[in-house]
Amino acid sequence: MSVRAMNLARPATPLHDRPAPRRWTQIDPMLLIVTVLLIGYGLVMTYSTTAETRTFTGDPMQFVIRGALWAAIGMAAMAAVAVFDYAWLGAFAPLLYVFTLGLLSVVLAIGTSSLGAQRSVNIAGLSFQFSEVAKVLMIIVLAKFFADRRAAVGSPVTMLLGLALLAPAVLLVYRQPDLGTSLVFIAIFFGIAFLAGARIWQLVALVAIAAASFPVVWSLLKDYQRARLSAFLDPYSDPQGAGWNIIQSLIAVGSGGATGKGLTAGTQSPLGYLPIAESDFVFSGLAEDLGFAGAVILFALYMVLLIAALRVALRAKDPFGILIGARIATMLLFQIMVNVGMAISLMPVTGIPLPFISHGGSSLVSICFALGVLQSISMRREPEGP
Amino acid sequence: MRQDDRSFVPVRRFIAFGVAIFVIFSTLTARLYDLEIVRGDYYHQLSEQNRIVRLPVPAERGGIVDRTGYVLARNIPGFAVSVIPVDLPRVREQELAQRLGSLLDISSESVSNAVQAQRIRNPYEPVRISKTPVPREIALAVTERAELFPGVRVDPESIRFYADGTLYAPIIGYTGPITEQELAMLSANGYLADDDLGRTGIENVYEQYLRGTYGWREIERDAAQREIKTLALQRPTVGNTVGLTIDDRLQKLLDAELRKGVDEDKFTQAVGVAMNPQNGEILAMVSIPGYDNNMFARGITQPELDALNADDRHPLVNKAIGDRYPAGSTFKMVTGLSALTEGTANRSTVVNVTARSFSVSGTPFFDWTVHGSLDFVNGFAHSSDIYFYTLAGGSPMAPNVRGVGPDAIAKYARMLGFGAPTGIDLPNENGGIMPDPAWKLATFDEPWTIGNTYQEAIGQGFVAVTPLQLLNAYAAVANGGTLQTPHLLKSVTDASGKAVLITPPPPIRKLDMSADNLRLLREAARKVVTSGHAYMPNAKLPIAGKTGTAEFGDSAGKDSAGRNKLGFHNWFVSFVPQADNTDPTAQIAMVIFTYDSSKSLCELCLNPAVGMTQRILEQYLGANK
Repeated sequence: MSVRAMNLARPATPLHDRPAPRRWTQIDPMLLIVTVLLIGYGLVMTYSTTAETRTFTGDPMQFVIRGALWAAIGMAAMAAVAVFDYAWLGAFAPLLYVFTLGLLSVVLAIGTSSLGAQRSVNIAGLSFQFSEVAKVLMIIVLAKFFADRRAAVGSPVTMLLGLALLAPAVLLVYRQPDLGTSLVFIAIFFGIAFLAGARIWQLVALVAIAAASFPVVWSLLKDYQRARLSAFLDPYSDPQGAGWNIIQSLIAVGSGGATGKGLTAGTQSPLGYLPIAESDFVFSGLAEDLGFAGAVILFALYMVLLIAALRVALRAKDPFGILIGARIATMLLFQIMVNVGMAISLMPVTGIPLPFISHGGSSLVSICFALGVLQSISMRREPEGP
Repeated sequence: MRQDDRSFVPVRRFIAFGVAIFVIFSTLTARLYDLEIVRGDYYHQLSEQNRIVRLPVPAERGGIVDRTGYVLARNIPGFAVSVIPVDLPRVREQELAQRLGSLLDISSESVSNAVQAQRIRNPYEPVRISKTPVPREIALAVTERAELFPGVRVDPESIRFYADGTLYAPIIGYTGPITEQELAMLSANGYLADDDLGRTGIENVYEQYLRGTYGWREIERDAAQREIKTLALQRPTVGNTVGLTIDDRLQKLLDAELRKGVDEDKFTQAVGVAMNPQNGEILAMVSIPGYDNNMFARGITQPELDALNADDRHPLVNKAIGDRYPAGSTFKMVTGLSALTEGTANRSTVVNVTARSFSVSGTPFFDWTVHGSLDFVNGFAHSSDIYFYTLAGGSPMAPNVRGVGPDAIAKYARMLGFGAPTGIDLPNENGGIMPDPAWKLATFDEPWTIGNTYQEAIGQGFVAVTPLQLLNAYAAVANGGTLQTPHLLKSVTDASGKAVLITPPPPIRKLDMSADNLRLLREAARKVVTSGHAYMPNAKLPIAGKTGTAEFGDSAGKDSAGRNKLGFHNWFVSFVPQADNTDPTAQIAMVIFTYDSSKSLCELCLNPAVGMTQRILEQYLGANK
């Protein structure tokens, strides 16, 4: 009796023409370590900017405890996502797209207003910022789109279709109104188009069109958004009004000096001079408490994170993985640039959180989710050499 | 990895992306370096200015005491009521404005306006509602029913309190809120917008001593300007205590006599001033009617102020220095000293007053009686008008006596301090009028007549003096020829009880008059009391002096208190030598002036000032001995 040898290889899935084994050894250690360090740094900053309750009453540790809870949820999400084959995400991309637009519509419909913006939805006592989630989901959707059309990535049709895909999400976020996050969407689009190999002239043309339509955009902006832009150009034209945040942020950053005033020793944010010190202007508080040194350490961690993300993308086994990795890196870079740039008056004021450092569960969990996807990509890459 | 997938990876774009990361972080780092390292100190200062503010801590004002330490002005606790708009719900604003307004006796509109203005300015900061210090009962009413007064805050503050308000108001004056213009000038000296300062009297003149040194408090504040904690404190230093030359006992004796005279309708207004002729220290100064300066210290109301201004006896004026009156016969001292010093008369110059009047160019000039033959001492003692007409301008009754003339009289009168402020340390001093022919020509464009000379000789006509000027001139005679600078400041003591060095003002001048002539005047003044015009029964003190009666102003109609206007004023200027001799040793000189003496009194032709002087000085000096 002949015995047929059992085919012990894993069968191909509908997603792959070849099996994509998970290799735990291929977890990107640098990415993992820097993620943990940044989460820790974020918790320290939460403590530093909220612990000294000079103006608020209540448990001084409440923000730290809540932050730690969110960090745990984020780490769990990261692990869970890493276990799954990211290719499934590609398979469900159309569904994810519909889900994203649904989330953003829900925010518009029932979101609670904070500082004049409909940004968060309260569920079971926790407030969720769906646009943070939407950001990560749109990365997957756009990555899938460009990966599937990689052969025609240089065609203007691809570019226009990609924009068409993006537009509803941007509009929904903008209606919240959240100018900052809608800009992040656009930046992500440019980043991915660039890295996917779109023609440079097409990207330049898009920027040119955007610049040409600036008067139209200006007329569409809300009054406070215009005021913020004017204040960015000259904060002292309205030091008590639109310029206040910028001036106070510069004072906070500058007064930190080389090594800062020390943890919890900053004065600008506990005394309320620095508004939204735990999210939008968290970097100003960091620079005040920990100084130039603390900021440079943060920058170093970010650079390691970004390089690691890019490396994962470069090593990915398929275009979908490459584009997801690249897009996550783009998103992080853009958010860091805009948030820090705002704090030091290199950018206009927009409400974009600083990855890991800004207090806020939705942002942290979304980023952890994205980094989980990166680890998933890393684990499923082709092993290097023999 | 399949070939088509690999080729998909645009490696150069990834490198470009890596470069972008590097460039972005380099830019951010460079900017941070500029902000934190290069300009770190500047921003650190800004952050400190943000959170730290130095608030002044007012110092308590120094007290005012008499020469024995009796307290005349001090501070008592009061309360300030303010509203913190952020703690006052808008829906209750109207209700609170009405309740607080009626409690503090201000209109509810002004409460609402203050709160609304502050809501716009800084709703976290209290805005003061009570314009004047609030007494304890009202403060308690607010704090005990806090639920009725949302957002209302009560803070302690001090009220200036004057123990014998009306008695000392002409001297001490009062404090009041600083004006915008004053603040503009004084803010560099640390004055604050809601400060009080001395508005008149001693409170005004010695503001520099009385106002303490303000301290400060460095507080940390949040962006809403709420105070978080005190970082540093410099305690204020209480103002210095100003000691006056006033003797409260004499002040009260003087006041009691003068007040009694007003109450008994003997006269409508009265002034009494006493000083030490040897050094110019003012021992007492009373001006009736006065006003209660506590009204000003706690914030005078418009009806109260209107009432004071409507009183035509001018209670707000310190009449010892602030208004001028004809000197009457007291001025004969000047006429006499002028003639003696110029040598046109001496103690044996005799005028035989053989009639009650004489005529010059058809105009009659009267005396009050037919005196007969008078030498200088008797002429002065009996206050003969014709005797002094003669010394001033000559007369048919003594053809051999040459008149000294109006210019000489004016010269010696000015030497004795008339026609110019004495320089006492009080505001609003009147200089009086000391006329001479040139003055009349300049003022009225009319030549001087012999009639003017005669009128001037007996203190009528154009001559106008303040009671203090008259007193000071007599004091110079009493002390042997030194015209002192009258003053009220005796001592200044700092918060620790240490004396602050002050120098008494130097005398105005030495009189260019001979000691013998001054002695003759003292002798004549003593004779006024012993056998002349101002006879004092059972006299216990060797009082010397000179009476005066002057007609002035209206002698018809009624004043605002409903009394008949008579236009007769009485003077008695006196001094008390140490023994019954003519040495220049008097330790006290006093002037009493009664305004508008009553009809019945004048019919008896008694000078009320004489009796009062005797009673006051005997009580004061008798008890001293």
